[in-house]
Amino acid sequence: MPVSASAIYFLNLRGDVLINRLYRDDVGGNMVDAFRMHIMQTKELGTCPVRQIGGCSFFYMRISNVYVVIVVSGNANVACAFKFVVEAVNLFKSYFGGAFDEDAIRNNFVLIYELLDEIMDFGYPQNLSPEILKLYITQEGVRSPFSSKSADRPVPNATLQVTGAVGWRREGLVYKKNEVFLDIVESVNLLMSSKGVVLRCDVTGKVLMKCFLSGMPDLKLGLNDKIGLEKESELKSRPSKSGKTIELDDVTFHQCVNLTRFNSEKTVSFVPPDGEFELMKYRITEGVNLPFRVLPTIKELGRTRVEVNVKVKSVFGAKMFALGVVIKIPVPKQTAKTSFQVTAGRAKYNAAIDCLVWKIRKFPGQTEPTMSAEIELISTIAEKKSWTRPPIQMEFQVPMFTASGLRVRFLKVWEKSGYNTVEWVRYITKAGSYEIRC
Amino acid sequence: MALSGMRGLSVFISDVRNCQNKEQERVRVDKELGNIRTRFKNDKGLTHYEKKKYVWKMLYIYMLGYDVDFGHMEAVSLISAPKYPEKQVGYIVTSCLLNENHDFLRLAINTVRNDIIGRNETFQCLALTMVGNIGGRDFSESLAPDVQKLLMSSSCRPLVRKKAALCLLRLYRKNPDVVNIDGWSDRMVQLLDERDLGVLTSVMSLLVALVSNNHDTYWSCLPKCVKILERLSRNHDVPQEYTYYGIPSPWLQVKTMRALQYFPAIEDPNIRRSLFEVLQRILMGTDVVKNVNKNNASHAVLFEALALVMHLDAEKEMMSQCVALLGKFISVREPNIRYLGLENMTRMLMVADVHDIIKRHQAQIITSLKDPDISIRRRALDLLYGLCDVTNAKDIVEELLQYLSSADFAMREELALKAAILAEKFAPDLSWYVDVILQLIDKAGDFVSDDIWFRVVQFVTNNEDLQPYAAAKAKEYVDKPALHETMVKVSAYLLGEYSHLLARRPGCSPKEIFSIIHEKLPTVSAATVPILLSTYAKILMHTQPPDPELQDRIWAIFNKYESCIDAEIQQRAVEYFALSRKGAVLMDILAEMPKFPERQSALLKKAEDTEIDTAEQSAIKLRTQQQTSNALVVTDQRPANGSLPVGQLSLVKMPSISSTAGANAIDQGLAHADGTLSIVDPQPATSSADLLGDLLGPPAIEDPPGAAVSAQQNVVPGLDLEGASNAADALALALVGVQSNSVQPIGNIAEKFQALCLKDSGVLYEDPYIQIGIKADWRTQHGRLVLFLGNKVTSPLDSVQALILPPTHLKMELSLVPETIPPRAQVQCPLEVVNLRPSRDVAVLDFSYKFGTTVVNVKLRLPAVFSKFFQPISLAAEEFFPQWRSLSGPPLKLQEVVRGVKPLSLPEMANLFNSFHLIVAPGLDPNPNNLAASTTFYSESTRAMLCLIRVETDPSDRTQLRMTVASGDPTLTFELKEFIKEQLISIPTPTPVPAPAHQHQNQQHHRHSLQGQLQV
Repeated sequence: MPVSASAIYFLNLRGDVLINRLYRDDVGGNMVDAFRMHIMQTKELGTCPVRQIGGCSFFYMRISNVYVVIVVSGNANVACAFKFVVEAVNLFKSYFGGAFDEDAIRNNFVLIYELLDEIMDFGYPQNLSPEILKLYITQEGVRSPFSSKSADRPVPNATLQVTGAVGWRREGLVYKKNEVFLDIVESVNLLMSSKGVVLRCDVTGKVLMKCFLSGMPDLKLGLNDKIGLEKESELKSRPSKSGKTIELDDVTFHQCVNLTRFNSEKTVSFVPPDGEFELMKYRITEGVNLPFRVLPTIKELGRTRVEVNVKVKSVFGAKMFALGVVIKIPVPKQTAKTSFQVTAGRAKYNAAIDCLVWKIRKFPGQTEPTMSAEIELISTIAEKKSWTRPPIQMEFQVPMFTASGLRVRFLKVWEKSGYNTVEWVRYITKAGSYEIRC
Repeated sequence: MALSGMRGLSVFISDVRNCQNKEQERVRVDKELGNIRTRFKNDKGLTHYEKKKYVWKMLYIYMLGYDVDFGHMEAVSLISAPKYPEKQVGYIVTSCLLNENHDFLRLAINTVRNDIIGRNETFQCLALTMVGNIGGRDFSESLAPDVQKLLMSSSCRPLVRKKAALCLLRLYRKNPDVVNIDGWSDRMVQLLDERDLGVLTSVMSLLVALVSNNHDTYWSCLPKCVKILERLSRNHDVPQEYTYYGIPSPWLQVKTMRALQYFPAIEDPNIRRSLFEVLQRILMGTDVVKNVNKNNASHAVLFEALALVMHLDAEKEMMSQCVALLGKFISVREPNIRYLGLENMTRMLMVADVHDIIKRHQAQIITSLKDPDISIRRRALDLLYGLCDVTNAKDIVEELLQYLSSADFAMREELALKAAILAEKFAPDLSWYVDVILQLIDKAGDFVSDDIWFRVVQFVTNNEDLQPYAAAKAKEYVDKPALHETMVKVSAYLLGEYSHLLARRPGCSPKEIFSIIHEKLPTVSAATVPILLSTYAKILMHTQPPDPELQDRIWAIFNKYESCIDAEIQQRAVEYFALSRKGAVLMDILAEMPKFPERQSALLKKAEDTEIDTAEQSAIKLRTQQQTSNALVVTDQRPANGSLPVGQLSLVKMPSISSTAGANAIDQGLAHADGTLSIVDPQPATSSADLLGDLLGPPAIEDPPGAAVSAQQNVVPGLDLEGASNAADALALALVGVQSNSVQPIGNIAEKFQALCLKDSGVLYEDPYIQIGIKADWRTQHGRLVLFLGNKVTSPLDSVQALILPPTHLKMELSLVPETIPPRAQVQCPLEVVNLRPSRDVAVLDFSYKFGTTVVNVKLRLPAVFSKFFQPISLAAEEFFPQWRSLSGPPLKLQEVVRGVKPLSLPEMANLFNSFHLIVAPGLDPNPNNLAASTTFYSESTRAMLCLIRVETDPSDRTQLRMTVASGDPTLTFELKEFIKEQLISIPTPTPVPAPAHQHQNQQHHRHSLQGQLQV
């Protein structure tokens, strides 16, 4: 069952309605007050994204400083609703040029109403693809039909776009230079105990593409993942090449990927949309290569002093380097004075987040810089509570490194005209929630 | 302000104000806190200026709601800074951030003390303010004397003394045990002579606190207070700055009058006169004007004056003046003023004699009932409810009924309940009552609780004259097309019971009645169906000669319900069907319901429960409880013509006050004392007197009658006639008169008597109006008893008579018993007793009194029993055995084997003997299973006489024993033997009386079944 959303609301952090659209009349207009009263003004906000109040279910998520709330009165598909919200936000972002926040909404009321009319009908999600919607819903003025000047762009054939076999791609595209860009972006989530034992670790990755290809090309992507390689060796009846194979979990594809072919031949083949899109998403839980190891020692000396020693080791290739490394080491709230010694980068105390922030702009592989800090605490009248010691957090980006070890084996392009294409492949690994207990 | 110089602070504040959301603000504040921490930790130390700046920031952050748990040291250290700006911030931050329990305050005490005793007035003010704001124990201990000195010092400016008075007030309130107020009465007198009104206002606050704790010490202040009031009311010597909208210092006026209310009463006629003059002036001078502020001020003064007038129990003239004034308030359009008027009128109702005067405004109050503001409507309803009495009940109830259909839902239930209670309480005649309740059910069926219609049924059942009328009325309502279900219930019940009384009227043949009731059957819920079935069975029974057609129809209905899923309906259908086939038996079983025992209205109780919410309402309740005539039906006294005044109408109150009356009186006193009403609702003690008590009988028809009777006894022990008489039968000398009274004793009289046989003081008898206590003193054959007759209610008990019916062996002289016992008073009646001869007979006190129209007569056994003339004596073996041997053979020494003894262990039996002053000598008898006891008996004929007792028990069978009693007097020996036997033989538990007649049993039985239905 699809969403069957009765209404969608956009609220700011205070709970004021920025914009709303009622799709069905089975919920009252004042239901949003119930949301404000029972969710926003209580501590429950943020604890559970689905709430039921008075026979209605509220699905909500916060995006920057806006709450997007979907109200349904029946038994709806929750995942579909959230997917719809995510896609709708992406759509708005592509219209507003990046940002989606309160101001953006206030500046684009008319456009948003137009889009909300288009992307959902009577509570059922419709086409949310920015490429297509942008053809029909523009921010330009309406051309007078009596205008003598002929249209500089062909009037798009809406029916074909919506009903055609390849709804995501226009026909008749022509590029001088045919190029394909492919990025593999991974983010590492880690929770490690103070003794270096990995408690939780996974990688979520996406394959992003940008295509500038003429005509209707057919693309085929080969990765070093397990299923693909096994199938290939089976087909070609020869033993698979030596080398690591990666087991991907929870793979999801863009709608352009031919799933029947994937099921039968285990190859990712597709006709790409024009421009930028997310080809696939995946998750990996086994065999993750951690880019960094952190070895903290934090000692509390008496009531007013704390000593912090942190050693960070980069375990990727020596030729590579990480960028924008930030290590946040939590300290007690009553920190008054700090002094540091670092072998690389810069460290300082940030009172707003109660952390020592150690920044290293460029971090080469196979090195291990250290930081030692001395902290003095101020005495308080409050009962001396033992400090909870939150985990150390880390941010980084490592280009040309994949924590999963995933590699692109090939990317083939076929087109009737048989032009040559240039393929560009990039890898990057970022920190998700990279936490080390201390 | 001193902030002007601190740029950092103003930058910080503007930063915080510019924050878009809470998150940004928190980040900014955390950053600032980190900065302040770093600064405070700085080794070089801070200048006073820097310290001041950061402490201000801390205060600002604290005021924004963030935790600030450091830097208190810096704040406290600023107190000792020499300059005003630093000292100021030190004091302010200390009083905001620290509470009385912080240790840091100790550090400051010395500095604060220096400031207080110093010469700088501004510093003194700062210090006093801080001490007053924190007011801890340490401060009280070390600073209170200095503050007192400051208050008394004549060299200080009024500003300082004002603050000193308030500071002292705070210290006193916080720790009254620490602040020494000995000898303050003189100083207060001196302070009240102050000319400056500001100081006077502060001092008056202090006085109110002092007086509220202990008014006796401050009597000397009273004339001064009156003088101040006089000065203010004459507007004499009141500076312009203390005049608020032309009213001379309303605050001081209010406080002074509040202080006066703490003194119990003013005896001195001069003071009283001048005080009343002042009050008169206030009452006269107050009027409603345009200006809101002026109104507020003058009304504050006025209402305090009203409270004082009520407190002082002013003359009727003044009261009526107050009421007239309030009447003016009620007629004003402004809702606030009207609310105040209504509320205060309700308060005034407590003063009994203004009742008539308030009644004059009845029409106006009824108008307020239609006010758009619900709080005004509620107050008006309360007032009307309190105002209602026999003279205006009819008007008011009718008004309420009319209002009911337009009232909003929130009020309807309360309204319905109140109308029902008033109708019941003040009904001029019973048919009117029935009319009102039926109308009530008709108009607001949803809001009429079951209690209300149960009550109607009780009334009608207990009043034969009313039955045809009620049946006719019920038929009228049933004839209407749309009917509320409660109405169906009550009319079906009434018609079932009494429709045969209407049989001669047109359209009232059993068949017709049946068909109109039967029309309602499809529309009612499962709860009502059983009642309808009973009605059918009754109609069928009453149809003489039997009508086969009707019988077939009714049987068809019973048949239909025989397979009903509801067990109650099914059982009834099956049973009625089976019974109705038996013909004659049906007549007995379905005979008319017997009368209900009389009891307190459950409605009143319910009303009490619902009235807890506001204090005003409980004031009304107080009055309600004091009402003399109240809801209970006594059938035999009903006047034939029905036109007698209600006082003599057969509505007799079974009051619920009993033990709560005392509490109420105290509450009332309190209410007067502080001028507000804060009465907690006391739970009525006689909770067993519940209407549902007798509706809870088991519904089973097949129960054997005996079981049904005993079951009923279990439900209402002591209230049921049978139960009471059973208990009475079992006791040798019963209180014959008690049951016939409508006033029920509290607690078991027999138990009280038994207890008094063993001890010398306690309660002999208690009912809702009177408590009889006894205190006795026994010396040899002489006894002196004192009877304490305590009146528990607030009206006098008259025709009090006490008559002693002494047995022949006692000579008793009762001193004069007064004719009347004043309200809430206790009378003592000494009673001299001389024992002439040994005998077990008991003296009886025939006691009667009259309460209102009720005559109560009780016969009480007096605890001047045989055992009271024993004096304990313990004999050693060498004394016992010669005596024992010297008394040989009957009639001086008697032996008897007693069977059927209460099984007691030896120590228990020894205790029993000892409690009667028969002293058991342990180890005297060589056999451990035997007991030997001795005592001395005193009487005129025998003088002191030694009595010896030996009891031989059988360890294998504790229910039998052999007893030997010996004394120097044959009568004494016999009586003593019988006495001990009585005590030892277990008193059999009351067995149910043999059923008097078959018919009665059936009725009883049947009644249970119908009560079961009623309950459904």
